[in-house]
Amino acid sequence: MKFESQRVSWWFFATCMLLFSLQIVYGFIMAFAHAGHDALHAVIPFHAARATHTNLLVMWLLCGFMGAAYYIIPEEADRELHSVPLAKLQLGALVATGVTAIIGFHFNWWEGRKFLEIPRPLDFLVVVDVLMFIFNIGMTVKNGRRFTTTSLVLFFGLLSAALLYLPGMIPTTNQTHDSYWRWWVVHLWVEGVWELIMGGILSYLLIKLTGIDREVIEKWLYVIVGFTFLSGILGTGHHYYFIGTPNYWKWVGGIFGAMEPIAFLGMAIYGVTMARKGGRAHPNRTALQWTVGCSIMSFVGAGFLGFAHTLPSVNLYTHGTLVTAMHGHMAFWGAYAMIVLAIMSFALPNLTGRRLHDAPSAQLGFWASNIGMIAMTLAFGVAGVTQVYLERRVGMDFLAVQRELEVHFIGLILAASLFTLGVCCFVWNFIRHGWPVGEVLAAGASDVTPEEAARTP
Amino acid sequence: MLSKKAARAFFLVGTAVCSLAFVGLTVDTFNRIPAQTHAAQITPAVARGKDLWDHSNCMGCHTLLGEGGYYAPELTRVYRRRGPDFIRAMLRNPEAMYPGQRRMQNYHFTEAQIDDLVAFLRWIDGMDLNGFPARPTLASASPEVTATASARPQVFNQICVACHAIGGSGGAVGPALDRVGDRLQPDYLDRWLRNPSAVKPGTAMPRLPLTDAQVSELVTFLSHQRSEVRP
Ligand code: HEC
Ligand code: HEC
Ligand code: HEM
Ligand code: HEM
Ligand SMILES: [Fe+2]
Repeated sequence: MKFESQRVSWWFFATCMLLFSLQIVYGFIMAFAHAGHDALHAVIPFHAARATHTNLLVMWLLCGFMGAAYYIIPEEADRELHSVPLAKLQLGALVATGVTAIIGFHFNWWEGRKFLEIPRPLDFLVVVDVLMFIFNIGMTVKNGRRFTTTSLVLFFGLLSAALLYLPGMIPTTNQTHDSYWRWWVVHLWVEGVWELIMGGILSYLLIKLTGIDREVIEKWLYVIVGFTFLSGILGTGHHYYFIGTPNYWKWVGGIFGAMEPIAFLGMAIYGVTMARKGGRAHPNRTALQWTVGCSIMSFVGAGFLGFAHTLPSVNLYTHGTLVTAMHGHMAFWGAYAMIVLAIMSFALPNLTGRRLHDAPSAQLGFWASNIGMIAMTLAFGVAGVTQVYLERRVGMDFLAVQRELEVHFIGLILAASLFTLGVCCFVWNFIRHGWPVGEVLAAGASDVTPEEAARTP
Repeated sequence: MLSKKAARAFFLVGTAVCSLAFVGLTVDTFNRIPAQTHAAQITPAVARGKDLWDHSNCMGCHTLLGEGGYYAPELTRVYRRRGPDFIRAMLRNPEAMYPGQRRMQNYHFTEAQIDDLVAFLRWIDGMDLNGFPARPTLASASPEVTATASARPQVFNQICVACHAIGGSGGAVGPALDRVGDRLQPDYLDRWLRNPSAVKPGTAMPRLPLTDAQVSELVTFLSHQRSEVRP
C-alpha cells in the first residue's frame, strides 16, 4: 500500500463479503424449490428469491469494482484519492439503496424486468451514487502525476458502465422495445464494458505479480479490449433473434456473437503466458492463482459455454432454458467474481499488514470454490440439456419435464455445498486479516518484505 | 512486432466502426418493430396488462419471449395453448388449476386486472418471433396421432390436457383419460364436468368455466374413448 487513502477500499471489500454470503443463501432457496421443496413459498416466493440472488450478485460485483478502483487508481495515478469522505458517503448510500431494494422485493415492490428489478425511484439513486464514484476517481486520474493505460481502461470501463445503465430506464409500452433496451444494459455490460474493467484489474495484477514490463502488458490489453468491442457490440444481436425484431439479427448476432470468445481466449492466453514468463516470483501465490484462474475460467464459462448456445439454430431450442443458467453461473463466476476475489486476495495483506495469503484456508478457499463451481455448472448443464431435449424436442409438458429434473437439483445442492465451503474459507481468511491498519510504504519501497524476497527464488 | 500505438488504434477504430453500425441497425430495427409486433393492437388494456406484468414480476418465475426465470412455463404462446378461460381461472386462483403442483404466487387480482393481463398475453401471442418457440421436431408426429389430436374438441386440447394425459401426452394431476368411456357413463360425465365437487366432495378437479355446448361436446368425445376389443 503506497497511499493512506487506499485503505477505504477495505470497506468496499468487506461489503462484498457480506452481500456475497447473502447471495448464496438465496441461491440455495431457489435450488431447493427446483428440487421440489418450496417450504419458504409463503415468505420468500421464487421470484423474490431470484431477484434478490441476482441483484445481490450485481451489487457485490459493483462494490468490488469500486473497491478495486479505489485501491488501484491512487497507485497508478501516483497520488492520494481525491476524497476519502466522498468514497465513504458513496458506499453508505449504495448500501442503503441496495438494502431498500432487496427488502422491497419481499413486499412486491419491483420493476419486474430480469436483472433490472430495482424500482424506478431507486434507479435514480443508483445513478447519482455511481456519478459520485466516477467523479471521485475521475478527479484522481485527472490530477494524477502519471497516466497509465491500465488506469484509463479501468476508468473508461467504469464510466461506460454508468452510462449504459441509462437505456434500462427508458419507459416503454411495447415488450419488444423493453427487451431491446434491457439488453443494452445486460449484454453491453457483461460482454462489453465490464470486460474493460476486468482487463484493467487483470493487467494491474499481472504487472504487480509477475514483474513483466508494463509496456508489453498494456499493449496486449489494448488488443484484447479491441476484440471485445469488435465482437461484443454487434454481438448484442444474439439476444435479438426471437424477441420481435427483424430476422437479419440472426446473421448479425450469429456472426459477431460467435466471435466473442476470441476476447476471452485472448484473456486466458494473456494471463497464462504472462504468469509463465514473469521473472518476479511475488510471494502472494494465492493472488496469482486467482488471477490466472480468472483468465481461464472466464474463457470456459463465457467463451466456451457462451459459444455453445450463441448460434441461432441452437439458441432456437436453448433460449430461456436451464442451459442459459449453466452459462450464466460459470461466466459470472469466472470473469467477474474471480477478478474481484483476485484483487481482494492481492490487496488484503497490504491493506491490513497481515500476510496470511498462504494460509491453508486461502488455498482451500480457492480449490473448493472452483471445483464446486465446475460441478454446479455440470449439474445445471445436465438439467438444461435434458430440459431442451424433453421439452423443446420431444414436446413433453413443462411441469412433467421439471419433475424429471428434480434429481439434478439435488446434485446442484451437493455441488453448491462444496462451493459454499470454499467461499466460507475465503470469508474466514478475510476476517482473520482484520482491520485495514497496514503501514503506508515510503515512496519507492517494494511491497515485498526483505524476508519474503529472500525466501522466494 | 505490433506497437502499442497500433494496438490502441485498432481498439479505437474498431470500437467506433462497430458502434456506428450498431446505432444504424438500431434505427432500422425500431422502424420495423411496429409492423412485426402489431403495435397498432396495443390497446390501453394491453398497456395496463404489461404494467401489471412488470410490477408483479411474473418474469421472476416465467419466461416471456424466452426471457425470465426458468421455474415456470414459457408464456409467449400460452394464449394459444390454454385459451383465455384457463388463464383467467389460473390468475383467480393458481391452486385451483394445478392442485398440489409447483406453486405460483396468488396475487388476488381483480377481474379488471385479470382482463388486462389476458389482453397483454393475447397481444404477445400475435407477435412474429422469427420461428420461436420451435415445433418439437421429435414429437410423436405419426399421421394417426396428429389426426386424433386435431379431432379432439379444442377445449380439451387447451384445458383438460393441462391435468390429464391422453395418448401418452399431457399433465399428470388427474388420471389418464384413455378408455375413460369404458368406465364412465355419459350422464355421469355430464354431471362430473358441470361440477366435480358436487359428485365427489373434496375432489381435486376444479369446476371449470365450460359452456353447455362445450360440456356436451366433451361428453360425446369422452364416451368414445373406449378399448378396441369388444366382447
Ligand atoms: C412464484 C412463481 C410464479 C410467479 C411469480 C408467477 N407464476 Fe405463473 N405459474 C407458476 C408455475 C409454477 C406455473 C405452472 C403451474 C403450476 O404448477 O401452478 C404457473 C402457471 C401459469 C400459467 C399457466 C401456464 C400453462 O401453460 O398452463 C399462467 C397463464 C401464468 N402462470 C401466469 C402468470 C402471470 C400472469 C404471473 C404474474 C402476474 C405469474 N404467472 C406469476 C409460477 C409463477
Ligand atoms: C386442474 C386440474 C384438472 C383439470 C384442468 C381437469 N381435470 Fe379432470 N380430473 C382432475 C383430477 C385431480 C381428477 C381426479 C378426481 C378424483 O378422483 O377425485 C380428475 C378426474 C376426471 C375424470 C374422472 C376420471 C376417472 O377415471 O374417474 C374425468 C372424466 C375428467 N377429470 C375429465 C376432465 C375434462 C374433460 C377436463 C377438461 C374440461 C378436465 N377433466 C380438466 C383434474 C383436472
Ligand atoms: C463474462 C461474460 C458473460 C457473462 C457474465 C454472461 C452472462 C449471461 C447471463 C446472465 C445470461 C442470461 C441473461 C438473461 O436472460 O437476461 C446470458 C445469456 C446469453 N449469453 Fe452470456 N455471458 C457472458 C458472455 C457470453 C459470451 C462471450 C457469449 C457468446 C459467445 C454469450 C452468449 C450468451 C447467449 C447466446 C445468451 C442467451 C441465452 C438465451 O437465449 O437464453 N455470453 N449470459
Ligand atoms: C450456492 C450457490 C448457488 C446456488 C445454489 C445457485 C442457484 C441458482 C438458481 C436455482 C438460479 C435460478 C435459475 C432459475 O431461474 O430457475 C440461479 C440464478 C442465477 N445465479 Fe445462482 N446460485 C448459486 C451461486 C451463484 C453465484 C456464485 C453466482 C455468480 C457468480 C450466481 C449467479 C446467478 C445468475 C447470474 C443467475 C441468473 C441466471 C439466468 O437467469 O440465466 N449464482 N442461481
Ligand atoms: Fe450476450
